[in-house]
Amino acid sequence: MDFVNTLLIYLVLAASSIANIVKSSLGPVGLDKMLVDDVGDVTITNDGATILNLLEVQHPAAKVLVELAQLQDQEVGDGTTSVVIVAAELLKNADELVKQKIHPTSVISGYRLACKEAVKYIQDNLTLTVDELGKDCLINAAKTSMSSKIISADANFFAAMCVDAANAVRVTDNKGQTIYPIKAINVLKAHGKSARESLLINGYALNCTVASQAMVKKITNAKIACLDFSLQKTKMKMGVQVLVTDPEKLDAIRQRESDITKERIQKILNAGANVILATGGIDDLCLKYFVEAGAMAVRRCKKSDLKRIAKATGATLLSSMANLEGEESFEASAVGEAAEVSTERICDDELIVIKGTKARTAASIILRGPNDFYCDEMERSVHDALCVVKRVLESKTLVVGGGAVEVALSIYLESFATSLSSREQLAIAEFAHSLLVIPKTLAVNAAKDATDLVAKMRSYHHSSQSKPEHANLKWIGLDLTEGTVRDNRQAGVFEPAVSKIKSLKFATEAAITILRIDDMIKLDSEDKNTQSYQNAYECGQLDG
Amino acid sequence: MAPNVQPKMKAFETKSKPAEIRSSNIEAAKAVADAIRTSLGPRGMDKMIQSGKGDVTITNDGATILKQMKLVHPAAKMLVELSKAQDVEAGDGTTSVVVLAGSFLEAAQKLLEKGIHPTVISESFQKASVKAVEILEAMATPMKLEDRHSLLMSATTSLGSKVVSQHSALLAPLAVDAVLKVIDPLKDHDVDLRDIRVIEKLGGTVDDTELVEGLVLDQRSAGSGGPTRMEKAKIGLIQFCISPPKTDMDNQVVVSDYNAMDRVLREERAYILNVAKQVKKAGCNVLLVQKSILRDAVSELALHFFDKMKIMVVKDIEREDIEFITKTLNCRPIASLDHFLPEYMASADLVESVPTGTSKVVKITGIQNVGKTVSVIVRGSNKLVLEEAARSLHDALCVIRCLVKKRFIIAGGGAPETELAYQLTQYAQGLPGVEAYCLRAFAESLEVIPMTLAENAGLNPIATVTDLRNKHACGFKSSGINVRKGAITNMLDEGVAQPLLVTTSAITLASETVRSILKIDDIVNALY
Repeated sequence: MDFVNTLLIYLVLAASSIANIVKSSLGPVGLDKMLVDDVGDVTITNDGATILNLLEVQHPAAKVLVELAQLQDQEVGDGTTSVVIVAAELLKNADELVKQKIHPTSVISGYRLACKEAVKYIQDNLTLTVDELGKDCLINAAKTSMSSKIISADANFFAAMCVDAANAVRVTDNKGQTIYPIKAINVLKAHGKSARESLLINGYALNCTVASQAMVKKITNAKIACLDFSLQKTKMKMGVQVLVTDPEKLDAIRQRESDITKERIQKILNAGANVILATGGIDDLCLKYFVEAGAMAVRRCKKSDLKRIAKATGATLLSSMANLEGEESFEASAVGEAAEVSTERICDDELIVIKGTKARTAASIILRGPNDFYCDEMERSVHDALCVVKRVLESKTLVVGGGAVEVALSIYLESFATSLSSREQLAIAEFAHSLLVIPKTLAVNAAKDATDLVAKMRSYHHSSQSKPEHANLKWIGLDLTEGTVRDNRQAGVFEPAVSKIKSLKFATEAAITILRIDDMIKLDSEDKNTQSYQNAYECGQLDG
Repeated sequence: MAPNVQPKMKAFETKSKPAEIRSSNIEAAKAVADAIRTSLGPRGMDKMIQSGKGDVTITNDGATILKQMKLVHPAAKMLVELSKAQDVEAGDGTTSVVVLAGSFLEAAQKLLEKGIHPTVISESFQKASVKAVEILEAMATPMKLEDRHSLLMSATTSLGSKVVSQHSALLAPLAVDAVLKVIDPLKDHDVDLRDIRVIEKLGGTVDDTELVEGLVLDQRSAGSGGPTRMEKAKIGLIQFCISPPKTDMDNQVVVSDYNAMDRVLREERAYILNVAKQVKKAGCNVLLVQKSILRDAVSELALHFFDKMKIMVVKDIEREDIEFITKTLNCRPIASLDHFLPEYMASADLVESVPTGTSKVVKITGIQNVGKTVSVIVRGSNKLVLEEAARSLHDALCVIRCLVKKRFIIAGGGAPETELAYQLTQYAQGLPGVEAYCLRAFAESLEVIPMTLAENAGLNPIATVTDLRNKHACGFKSSGINVRKGAITNMLDEGVAQPLLVTTSAITLASETVRSILKIDDIVNALY
């Protein structure tokens, strides 16, 4: 039977071309991509998921890989490039096996088995807990994640910042688990000044300005009211018509329109609020009242920002002022507190910074950089690092980076494969072989001799697994600046274990999804003339 | 091409047309069967289907593949219908039914070439399928619904060929539990699968799929400051809107005085407040609101009141879900405020808004007087896997439903087909005339199933099938192809079983379709 599947070759080709695009951006010495879209917007990035997102991929098999990167981005946040490279390598090697007349289903079951064994081996032998390594490992993990990015030069500075930010947003959910919702960290970008002048604010930075220049710029012991409605002249609803016969009355109606809002403002101010944040607009007319009361009013805030501020300060985000008596009132309990609210000038913009929030701590990061592309890339890198810190804090397990895990797994799986006598043996050996693509690519990107370095690492790992007295050699990984191998545990190159395990699983799943396909059916787009039986008959297509 | 069967007569030169049409029909139908053949069995492969718009589906389910393909030939369309019919009737075996039909057609074509008249072939195929069902019924093992092991076995077998097969340890018990929960003790010979609500949620892995005894709503709880968790809930399901009533287009409220403006605003508040207070007075603390297109189902102001009263609101409930919800909660939908009374409400221990992946769902658990329904949340890491997981779960549910309908199981792995082939051949030997010949061809064509299974598993098909035939001749009725070990074993011992209904319906439906294709002797194109 003919197992040499032309379709598989075609799918594998598409997958490897995707992997080749991101290959050169892997690792601490990986380079960036500049992507220009059809309107001319430029993105410069090193992040695999971002690159693949911006590519307009047509081929369905390539789309599977793009989705894979997105998935890794959502679930883990880091390691998006490596997951794509591993998946493509698995496919390439599977294709070789199929060419040697091994049925794809045997390859699939071999890959599944290998993945399961690999995950088990990582969990049993290659993980380190945070307790063993001490607090520094958090910073080290963040540094490892950043090492490949644009901000690697200032990795120490940013790593400390990320760890502090993640710790600031720690909350305990109602099941008693500690979680780190890194989404709550507000990351703002402002170009100008150097990257080192980025700062972490222990509070909430709001990218809005006060509504009127006459307002005070700084309020200590702030009482914050969060409103989800506008303070504008009241308009009647649809279906309500104002019909005036007397010109005198017209004025009264106008007066009343602004008075309704005025009364509302008065009620808010009477409740003790001196900082008013609204999602809607505030009429210039009404600003006067706030200025007179010495309060700060901010209009057109983002609702998501206000929700977080409300949580942090203990305020309630109100969507209406109505109370249960059918009247309008503003209760003092809906007001949140913070030690200080001030406007700060950063670059050309003004920011409102809320510090010393009462209910829980908050964190915001303001990133500075020479240009917008730089800031965008910084934001992505900081996001990746935050994800890594979160994973480490939540799972408390780490693995050593720099290709050490991949080489250890590859050695282990090779010996595991030889212990099997079924057809899966070959597939497992290929799986082991595929994992080596990571250290190889790392070395190639650093312009080092990949063959030499990988061989060295393999020999170290082999002896670590065969001789108990050499067990410590399992932390041997690549040192890409020196072009040698070193103990990466001492060098402090760490990655969260969850990230490694998930990326292995996802890559295997994606490879299997593509391997299982044996036929591709392409349908014509619908706008074409619908083919009838009549047409087909006339064209002689039915002559069997 | 079939040679001309009838002697040629000068006057009717077009006499060859019926044979040509038949041949064209058979070729087209066979092409369809061949297209999905490779996806049969536990080692079957998937198809990637790219639609005209560029959407991609990856699936292993015969009915789905055929539904996606746009077929032109009317005979090929019949096979698509056939697969749909099997999907409705049994829910599983949609690939095998088409493969069988293809094989029957091939047999029929050979018989036609030998000069046997189509009606004779058709009659004998009919006879064969009746006999086949008899034989199958004789070899099936009766089972009880309490026999969880057999149920699990069948569900696992159905899931075996899918991409989610490694999760079958989770999904099979889930499917069994789901179906067993919704069986109505009064008429326990059918199950309405609409009572099992399957919700697909992106994010997480298939391992996170769960069965919820109670109700799961796709929507999240509305409002920003309202409660997201409610213990000892009193749930009211309303079909009216809580928003300012709109006057008809022609009517206008005319305001000519500034005092009236205040009154308008106050009236609106008072109206909404009145509704909210009524809801509160009835003791309700979780409110489900049906979606409305005419106006806001729940206005911002109403949400604000409910937040203050600590009433959880879930809005945008679809109209078609109302029936399921009322059945589950055992409550009545309330269509007007006057009927908002405590006796129409349902009670539950816990209503909670839970994050799943990127979005949230509302879970209602611990319902008192719970109806015979369950909800299943299917999770998957990407859209393709998620959809395929939902389809596979549907198949597994159908398999269990088949067992509820007809409580017999039969071994899988090609065992019943081989046994049929063996017994039908013997039966044919006792028959006189052309019929015997047709019956034997029918019997032989049944072997396409074990043949394809072996082929897809990378085994040698001829060696495997002959070995299998030998085993059946020696009386091992449950012997089948063990794809995992690559050997012939007793399928029931291996835990590979399927409901009798799937096999019988596949054979009956396939042979009926083949008969109708054979009987066609002309295609007339109606102009449109």
